[in-house]
Amino acid sequence: MFKDGIGEESEFSGYHPWVNLTYYILAIGITMFSLSPWFLAVTFVLSWLYSLLLRGKSVIKMNLLFTFWTLVIMALINTLFTHDGATVFFYLRGNRVTAEALIYGVSAAVMLVSVIIWFVSFNTIMSADKLIFIFGKAAPVLGLTLSMIFRYIPLLKNRFQEIKMGQACLGRGEQKGFVAKMRQFGKEVSILISWSLESSIESADSMEARGYGLKGRTSFHLYKFTRRDTTLLVLMLVLGAIVIAGCILGKTSVYFYPVYVVGSFDLMTAVTLAAYVLLLALPMILDIQGEVRWKQSSLEM
Amino acid sequence: METIEFRNVTFSYPLSDRKALDDVSFTAGKSEFIVICGKSGCGKTTLLKHMKKNLTPYGNFDGDVLYCGEEVVDLDDRKNASEIGFVQQNPDNQIVTDKVWHELAFGLESLGLDNRSIKRRVAEMASYFDIQEWFRKDVSQLSGGQKQLLNLASIMAMQPKLLVLDEPTSQLDPIAASEFLRTIRKINRDLGTTIILSEHRLEEAFTMADKVMVMDRGRVVAFDTPRKIGSFMAGEESTDRHPMFYGLPSVMKIFQAAGGEGESPLTIREGRLWVDDVMEKAGIDPVGEKPLTKETVEKPQKTADDPAIKIYNLWFKYDKKSQDVLRGLTLDVEKGQMFCVLGGNGVGKSTTLKAISNMIKPQRGKIDVDGKLAMLPQNPQALFTEISVEDELMEALHYAAGSDEEKVQDVLNMMDLMEIEHLRKSHPYDLSGGEQQRLALGKVLLLKPDVILLDEATKGLDPFFKITLAGILKKLTDAGTTIFMVSHDIEFCAEYADKCAMFFDGTIVSVGDPKEFFSGNNFYTTAANKMAREYYPEAITWEEVASCIEKSM
Repeated sequence: MFKDGIGEESEFSGYHPWVNLTYYILAIGITMFSLSPWFLAVTFVLSWLYSLLLRGKSVIKMNLLFTFWTLVIMALINTLFTHDGATVFFYLRGNRVTAEALIYGVSAAVMLVSVIIWFVSFNTIMSADKLIFIFGKAAPVLGLTLSMIFRYIPLLKNRFQEIKMGQACLGRGEQKGFVAKMRQFGKEVSILISWSLESSIESADSMEARGYGLKGRTSFHLYKFTRRDTTLLVLMLVLGAIVIAGCILGKTSVYFYPVYVVGSFDLMTAVTLAAYVLLLALPMILDIQGEVRWKQSSLEM
Repeated sequence: METIEFRNVTFSYPLSDRKALDDVSFTAGKSEFIVICGKSGCGKTTLLKHMKKNLTPYGNFDGDVLYCGEEVVDLDDRKNASEIGFVQQNPDNQIVTDKVWHELAFGLESLGLDNRSIKRRVAEMASYFDIQEWFRKDVSQLSGGQKQLLNLASIMAMQPKLLVLDEPTSQLDPIAASEFLRTIRKINRDLGTTIILSEHRLEEAFTMADKVMVMDRGRVVAFDTPRKIGSFMAGEESTDRHPMFYGLPSVMKIFQAAGGEGESPLTIREGRLWVDDVMEKAGIDPVGEKPLTKETVEKPQKTADDPAIKIYNLWFKYDKKSQDVLRGLTLDVEKGQMFCVLGGNGVGKSTTLKAISNMIKPQRGKIDVDGKLAMLPQNPQALFTEISVEDELMEALHYAAGSDEEKVQDVLNMMDLMEIEHLRKSHPYDLSGGEQQRLALGKVLLLKPDVILLDEATKGLDPFFKITLAGILKKLTDAGTTIFMVSHDIEFCAEYADKCAMFFDGTIVSVGDPKEFFSGNNFYTTAANKMAREYYPEAITWEEVASCIEKSM
């Protein structure tokens, strides 16, 4: 189950696109505005876990590489270029290198990495269909355009393969030397372009024949907003409201300069943090529940 | 009331003296099924396009085209979109969205229906056309036949009263094509939709049609019931046969050529009964089915002394986990022969071509090709790079040795051989399907190959041009070139191949010259053979059967 990840079959993925989108807006939005170490740790760990759960082992290497280099580069740049802060490590060519600058660099890097890793799972959950639906709600043309793009990518790929084969049929497959290779490639691309332009006339005809361009176009979809969607959406909004209230009260902010100050860990901070953990973990809880249910039902059979 | 009516329609394209339509008048009544046939470039497509407002070609137009009494050009856009459906040739180019369900809904979205009504109609369509199985699939995963069916369903979702189809099956294999035609027939019978269909594959379309229209150089030369059209096309003598005669169902061709009297039989069943009748009168008894003896079944294939292509024990699969596509394929193709490989979809025919042309590396086995190899791909467009026919052919010689004068001479000779001199300045994309095929073949031949591989070379060609193509191929084999062709076209292979082979499950299961090959088959054989095999099991082509029957009449 965890080797290849749950993928698009996950329980959460089966919820309505609006619910999925709300989750990511909350998760990514709050991540971007909180630099407090508690909150950073929560979002960092959970984004990692969720991407692992959905995409499996294959995602570890990429995530690690990305996390490592962002951390190193941002920490370095900030320490070398920002000279504020009270705690001085040492002087470099007359400039102060401070602990505060290092901490800020690391915090910002963790925030950035978390946002990017949230997008890893976002890619799996928000399939092309859902994006088309959401954009289609904004403007039917936008949704259709996206849909057409997703249609033409595989079509052009296949066509290019066919052209390459056609050229190989003429014995043009293996050119020697860089210039000859580039020339051959250019020729293949030019065939692809003229072929595609030619066939797009027919596509345009077929669209117009089916009434494209009439006034009042609607956008069809297969999604249904059910009760479980409502429940989850309300739960998310309530949790989100608590966290945002905490943010406004300053529970998620910290001061870096001149001295690194983390607010005291009072009750409100604890409540905000708990709501935040729960909010971010909701899809994971649902997905694991779903997997367990499957396991059980397959054992019973 | 007439669904569509043409009144003295004359049309010519700008800058052209030739009339694409010349004084065309006809009517199609409600729920009629009309088949239009004619050589490529006879004006079929132009005629069909006049029935749909937004597709009406630009040019000099005279006359009236009426849809339910209204001029087509004055139709309301909404009515035009929903009531007149138009299916084009190429299945791929008509699909615009990425998912099957979205494509089905496309027209309804345009009409501005709400989500609930669209869902209901889409569900209906999906069930009617039996596409629930692939309802949520990406369109790129569908086969050609499924794509064309999707195009049809997407149009039918708008509930048109008139369905116009422009050679919809020309890009499909025979099995998908007949399924598509059956669906059209079902629509016509169940829903009463008026159907106007242009086709080259008349074998099946004829049995469905109420009326058949024959076109020639923009004129309607005949418009009658299918049974009567045969005698018109046969003419008085075998020399003044109409070019489309060769596209008629074999049964009709045999009936006409053998000099049958009265109304022509249409289906193989009727043909058999007619043959029974004739034989009874002549007092000829059916010959019994030859039992499959050990010799006929296990006759070892003679190994050619000097094969052009020698394949020995070839095994191939596309990746480690998938099944083998080729399973111990062993095959010899003699020099100077036309060797045809027949078989269903996905049995490994195209893979064999790729293996021979070295585009894939088989896991086991050996392939030897004697001489230079070239292959003609299924889509001729894959080869076209230039802006005129002559440049296109010249491009083939780009890497060849020799002086420019020699090359020009070669190109001129090739245009002569392919009969495309009159098109030398045309753009390759402006040519018709058959002409494109000839140009592509010419381009391949300029490389002077010793062995030519053809992939479904007869797809989408009109029956008349098939005869020309066969002539060209014959000239080549006579000159010592070897032709290896994979095909679905049983009739073409029966008539013109030197050797036929049946491909199944990754290997060749039977080989022989067309006579022994087809007379040994019961199901996978030509229509002519099916019709008369009780009396003349050795007669394969319609001409053979016709002459046999003529003798006994």
